[in-house]
Amino acid sequence: MAQEVGLQYEPVAEIGGGAYGTVYKARDRDSGQFVALKSVRVQTNQDGLPLSTVREVALLKRLEQFDHPNIVRLMDVCATLRTDQETKVTLVFEHVDQDLRTYLEKVPAPGLPVDKIRDLMQQLLCGLAFLHTNRVLHRDLKPENILVTSRGQVKLADFGLARIYSCHMALTPVVVTLWYRSPEVLLQSTYATPVDIWSTGCIFAEMFRRKPLFCGDSEADQLGKIFAVIGLPAEDQWPTDVTLSHHNFSPQSPRPITDCVPDITEKGAELLLKMLTFDPLKRISALNALDHPFFSE
Amino acid sequence: MALTGFCGSRQLLDRHMTEDRQVPLRTWANSCVLKERRVFAEGEEVGSGQHYKPAQESRWVQRLPISAEDGIIMDYAPQGEPTSSDVYEEEALLKYLNRLPGPLSFQELMPGLLRREVEVAISKLGLLFDKTYAWDIFSDMMRSQLLCTLPNADLPKPFTDTTRAILVDWLIQVHEVFQFSEETLYLTVHLLNRALRLIKVSISGLQLLGVVCLFLAAKREECLLPEVSELCYLMENAYSKKQLLRMERRVLIGLKFDLYHCPPLHFLLISASIARCSDKVVWMARYLLELSLLEGRCVVYLPAQLAGAALRLARKILQEAAAPEAEMAWCIASSIHIGSEAVLLSIMQIMAIAAARAQTRETRATFIKFSTVQTLHVSMHPALKAAPGLLGLSCPQT
Repeated sequence: MAQEVGLQYEPVAEIGGGAYGTVYKARDRDSGQFVALKSVRVQTNQDGLPLSTVREVALLKRLEQFDHPNIVRLMDVCATLRTDQETKVTLVFEHVDQDLRTYLEKVPAPGLPVDKIRDLMQQLLCGLAFLHTNRVLHRDLKPENILVTSRGQVKLADFGLARIYSCHMALTPVVVTLWYRSPEVLLQSTYATPVDIWSTGCIFAEMFRRKPLFCGDSEADQLGKIFAVIGLPAEDQWPTDVTLSHHNFSPQSPRPITDCVPDITEKGAELLLKMLTFDPLKRISALNALDHPFFSE
Repeated sequence: MALTGFCGSRQLLDRHMTEDRQVPLRTWANSCVLKERRVFAEGEEVGSGQHYKPAQESRWVQRLPISAEDGIIMDYAPQGEPTSSDVYEEEALLKYLNRLPGPLSFQELMPGLLRREVEVAISKLGLLFDKTYAWDIFSDMMRSQLLCTLPNADLPKPFTDTTRAILVDWLIQVHEVFQFSEETLYLTVHLLNRALRLIKVSISGLQLLGVVCLFLAAKREECLLPEVSELCYLMENAYSKKQLLRMERRVLIGLKFDLYHCPPLHFLLISASIARCSDKVVWMARYLLELSLLEGRCVVYLPAQLAGAALRLARKILQEAAAPEAEMAWCIASSIHIGSEAVLLSIMQIMAIAAARAQTRETRATFIKFSTVQTLHVSMHPALKAAPGLLGLSCPQT
């Protein structure tokens, strides 16, 4: 195989979508197929390629063997030495023209029909259940990381890449949106698969609202906006040893979710509340969500 | 970061460690953790019962929250020790099996029985995952192992099976020095087998290739990495750091970052648990399995086949008397050993010959490794010299 991506992939346009680095649309010279090139520069210190990079990319290769319909395909991996201290790792993914953010922006009033939302959510949860069954967290679910093909197929992208990019993030001022982060992440408590369910709930609401649900600009502000909707949880539900105390927030009662998501159906509201549950242990799982009556209406 | 399946689980092996082996290992692991990552010890309290594989990162890198740095997913409901109801269920199952009327009924029940037994075995082995996922994970292991074999045993010139065996033997010694997990060893040899066929190296570069495979396996599996300078020292500084890191990049590109491996050791431990094998049989089987790493011909066999052959041969060598319930359990475990009897016999013959010769050959790191009290001295068992005879082979000259 080629050492340089340039030899096999002809750049077509800079997409630039990633918060962590440049993304190019390119054409595979062999197959003529369009691909998305995502490159990240990792520090090649005295220990060679960082352990996190090796594990993350190896994991992506592993998941590729399943060929899941709702997971973006990783077609190739290249690594080139830029300097003695830096290696460029390029991941070659299948190219999908638009993400969910773009898709939602194009939807004319009065918004997506509920059947379409149901289909999108079902595919999203199916892909997520696959990741979770393989003990993978996405950790950065947001509309920009959910791709939608022209035929309406949903594909999760950029899962697991946060750790590869973490080295790079340390060197550049990158703003990562807090809007889809779960309470336990904002509080820097321990977290697991439920973090992705919370993000999915925010996206679910956004499909109806056509604008984000919780738009905070700091951890405390984000949490405040969350509690304004779901209410301040009881103190015994508050995780221990976290950055922000329960007392930092004023007591608030839950508001009806339909106040914030007026067009949602009754079953949809029921499912949404199970996704936006403060306690991660009580939050619905992706597999169980797929069994919810909302999907059989 | 997640581990795929449970092949990355370290707990799998601890179950079969003898008591005096466990204590030093734990002490060593704890002292390393406390020394290298004190902050981690605090995080450990939050996620009780979890297993941490902290990633080593440069000091200047902005430190992520503890949980974000963990190598594994934090389970909110960790699997506890099997309850007494599990034990009761297990005993009831075996008693029920013993009263089955005939082979037809047994065959009809086999898939369900295997599933229950696999779930119990995985729980008993103390894996991170709860029982809900056990069967899915096992099914995936059975399917994915097809990707872990090579189409043939041919090596590119100028390498020979002898050359390869010498390198593998040396890697086993290095692995012992670093006290890595057994999974790391099996992954190392798996990567080496593939790299030898995908990457063009000269005779002089062979040792470097082997070390890089170990280095990558450690990055995939271990908490603490060896220093590159340590690795160069072990090769008597025949290669520079720069050469090692360049080879690392070549191997990763050649393998396309595909580092998945389904170690036969996991199949062995699951089978042995289902079959209620004694510790001695398990250690003997592990010994035979590790000997297969040195045999170039074994790269074409499935992990489950290698595990099945090792377990069968171990039982034959030790001639353990079996109760009726154990025989029934063995039948269930044997259904994992896919492949024909002829294939299993071929593997057993390779292992038997290797075991008979192990003490006297030049490459005897495995023999030494399994001659200790921790491994119940299995490599020194007197019946091993005559093992080929058990399979209808003439005994090789010693």
